[in-house]
Formats: sequence, C-alpha cells, structure tokens
Amino acid sequence: MPIRVNLDRILIDRRMSLTELADRVGVTIANLSILKTGKARAVRFSTLSALCRELDCQPGDLLVYEPGPAEEPDEEA
Amino acid sequence: MRALGPGSVSSFLKIILDVVYVALVAGVAGAALLALAALLFAFNPSLLANVKISGGTDFTAHAPLVVGGLLAASFYMANVLVIIGALRRIFATLTAGDPFHPDNVNRLRVIGLMLAVLELGRYAIWGISAWLPSVRDVRPTFSLTAWFSVLVVFVLAEVFREGARLRREAELTI
Repeated sequence: MPIRVNLDRILIDRRMSLTELADRVGVTIANLSILKTGKARAVRFSTLSALCRELDCQPGDLLVYEPGPAEEPDEEA
Repeated sequence: MRALGPGSVSSFLKIILDVVYVALVAGVAGAALLALAALLFAFNPSLLANVKISGGTDFTAHAPLVVGGLLAASFYMANVLVIIGALRRIFATLTAGDPFHPDNVNRLRVIGLMLAVLELGRYAIWGISAWLPSVRDVRPTFSLTAWFSVLVVFVLAEVFREGARLRREAELTI
C-alpha cells in the first residue's frame, strides 16, 4: 500500500501510548495496531477526525503517500 | 422471524440437515455393505443357490445387476451426503450470524460440482442400462433444471466470494 501511516512517530512526539490513544479515540487497540502497521485498507473520516483531535495534528501529518505497488493482491476467499 | 443467528430459521434448518446427514451416513453405510455382500455372494453362487428374489427369480442370475444397482445407490447417496454435509456447515455459519465466511465459497462450489456429478452419473447409468439385455424401456431425459441449478449454485459461490471480500475490507476499515 503506497499510503504510510505516521502514527508511531506522532505518538512518540506527543509522549502518548497506544492504549491511551485508543481510550481517547474510542477505537480498539487491535484496530489501532492494524492502522499503525499499515495493514488497514481504509480509514473512516470519523476515526481520522478523532485521531487528529486527540493528537492535535492534521490528516497530512498522519498519512503520507509513497509511490509503490498500488494494492496488495486480494486474498482468495 | 429472523433468518440468521441463534434461534432463527437457519438454526432450525441446521437441525433438520443434521438429522438428514446422520440418516444418510447410515444409508450409505448400509447400501455399501449390501453391495459388498452381494458382490461376495456373486463370486460364490453356491451359497445362494436357494435364494430367490421376490417373484421367484433366481438371485445368481441377476447378481451383477443387483451389485451394480447397489453400487449406484451408494454412489448417489454419497454424493447427496457431501452436498448435505456442505449445506450443514454453511448453515452453521448462518446460525452463527456470519454468512460471508470465506469457507462458504468453496462449500458452495463443492455443492455445484456434486450436483453436476449427480446429473452426469444419471446419464452414465442410462448409458450402461441401455446395454444390459435384462433392462428394457430406458427413457433418457435431459434435465435443464438440474444444469440450471448447477449454474445458479456456481454464481452464488461467486456472490459469496464477493461478500467475503467485502467482509475482509470492512474488517480492515478503521
């Protein structure tokens, strides 16, 4: 996925743990981990706005576009 | 009444399928044992010299036909057993409220394949019985409904594949 999530760096800058962020945003730690490790396929605007609100940042600070393979192949169901 | 989840129509149908499955397992085992016994007796006709089929026909004269019939019945019931087994597992996921489980795609494909095998088996039995001198009045018919069902099941499998993909997407949407 060419979209990279900078959650790790912002959390360090804000000296905030993933558990604390999960509590504040109302998202499970498991889902935040999916987001942090770049496995997420999509982010809801409501989640993004809650993250920006709690981390005091802009969406562009969280998400970075890096040219690369467009999409991971879908798993055969 | 709810269609999915515990206590729904799906769970009721799952119970019926469980009962049918157990009955079919017993049926397949019984038919296979009878076929085996008939085959053994066919090779040793002296054991059955006095056995008459109802109507006074000598068993040994019709042994190949009886064995073939029993084997065909076992094959038919085994195919239906596979179909019912796959349906049971699909309905278990429906009862759990998870219709787009990824495994349901292959289960539906298996059902479609087995329906096609059953139909082809029917043609094979017609072909064989037309050769047999003791069998008369064979009327082969081509069932459009059966092939239509096969295609519908394969299309449904693709629908479920798309559903499973969307479910995966939803899981990875934060």
